[in-house]
Amino acid sequence: MKKIFQIALGIVTSVGGFLEIGSITTAAQAGASFGYQLVWSIVLGTACVAFLVEMSGRFAAVSKHTIPDAMRERFGINFYVVPLFVLLGVSLLVLGAELGGVAAALEMATGIKLPIWAIPVALVSWGLLWRASFSVIENGVSILGLVTVAFAVGAVRLHPDYGAVLHGVVPTLPRRDASHYWFVAVSVLGASISPYLYYFYSSGAIEEKWDETYLAANRMIAAIGMGFGGFLSVAVLVIAAILFHPHNIDVDKYQQLPDLLTPIFGRTGFWLVIASLVIACLGATLEISLALAYLIAQGLGWNWGEDLEPRDDARFSLTYTLIVVAAMLFVLIGLDPLKLTEISMALTAASLPVGVFPFLILMNDKKYLQTHTNGYIGNAVVLVISLISAVLAIVSIPLEIVGS
Amino acid sequence: MHLVADVLDQQVLDKTGKRAGRVDGIVLEVREGKPPLITHVEVSPITLLARLNRRLAERYARWDQRLGKGRGVPFRIPWSRLEQTGKAWRFDTDAEDTPILALEDWLRVKIVERIPGG
Repeated sequence: MKKIFQIALGIVTSVGGFLEIGSITTAAQAGASFGYQLVWSIVLGTACVAFLVEMSGRFAAVSKHTIPDAMRERFGINFYVVPLFVLLGVSLLVLGAELGGVAAALEMATGIKLPIWAIPVALVSWGLLWRASFSVIENGVSILGLVTVAFAVGAVRLHPDYGAVLHGVVPTLPRRDASHYWFVAVSVLGASISPYLYYFYSSGAIEEKWDETYLAANRMIAAIGMGFGGFLSVAVLVIAAILFHPHNIDVDKYQQLPDLLTPIFGRTGFWLVIASLVIACLGATLEISLALAYLIAQGLGWNWGEDLEPRDDARFSLTYTLIVVAAMLFVLIGLDPLKLTEISMALTAASLPVGVFPFLILMNDKKYLQTHTNGYIGNAVVLVISLISAVLAIVSIPLEIVGS
Repeated sequence: MHLVADVLDQQVLDKTGKRAGRVDGIVLEVREGKPPLITHVEVSPITLLARLNRRLAERYARWDQRLGKGRGVPFRIPWSRLEQTGKAWRFDTDAEDTPILALEDWLRVKIVERIPGG
């Protein structure tokens, strides 16, 4: 009974935690600019992240190691600094975008300018990290995140042509605007396959003391939770494809995001978008801050744990404090969260192999996983999708910059 | 046992089971006509930095020196006082009494405990 509850909770939190500023805006941009044609990028991204999350949970449950922990052990410090600095750099930008997402939602709700919200939002996020336990952060915020299911309800209410949506699952070459098409595809992939997510997941499994009896639950949580999460992203894309695409409206301002639901639900729709953004981006803010603090603390062998009092892991607590402050500066200086999102999602895609390759080596190491090493399918799916994403990103980022 | 695979970069735990850094370096004694002998492991940012960039390590060591007697050099644990548990290495002292947790303690007293809720 307890296991069933945990599986249910895990699925709910994965669904509630899936959407954030990256997946909402990139899916909306994909739908607005290219109709249903880019559904495949969400499907590929979701498949990849589901595999990665399953691996991450399995790795922690069997080896009792987090990913950063094992990476330092297995590859040494001279290698470890590479993923450390790449992930820190890229994820700090993503974190800036998430904090900006909360601030942008609050601006739309109150009319008070975005940079003014930077400090209060950072303070609330930090306060939660400082005082709340791991399960409050992981479960509380994610369950509230179920408000994002509103996008699925909205999409159904618009009576989309389901056959056409299914057609989009098959990757096709762009019919126009090729460089922008690939750039948006790459951003969607980067938004779905966030490295912080699967790195964070392994630390969560250790914080919650998983062992091998969790392997079946872990598989279900990864498949169903991530699957439903990807489904919500597709819903956002479908809404944008129906409401924006026929009128040639591109999504280039965050102020357009409420237009996803107001035509369907009226004023309630506006508040649903605001609530979705605030909760989803706040949840992502907490997860990314913790993920980066874990990355540093575990790599250096410090004491760490979100359930410890800050005084018992001073370096760890002060690390996430500094990380939140750094991300706050992006919002404070007035960087546009939507631009920051676009750039950080594309860079995430470009840097995927840096986090994924060493992780795959660990996942095939019998010293850590004994009989639970990866199968061919898992290896192939993750390797191919992350390579394709990175190559597409490296080609399309310069083209997008030249194009705009 | 393989020094690089099983000792270097592994987690160090103290007597109480607290995480106390990682094996940042291994000290070997080279003996004539006999195989080298492990005498100590080093747990120190100085050793860690030296593996990445020597100049950075020297700069850190100079700064560390100001913090008191016995500082400015890598902290060493005698090999005989380490015991392998799982993949980690446990040593028979409370890390609070060593320089390993000096920065942690300093941050706790000077900053964390002064912040509400810390």
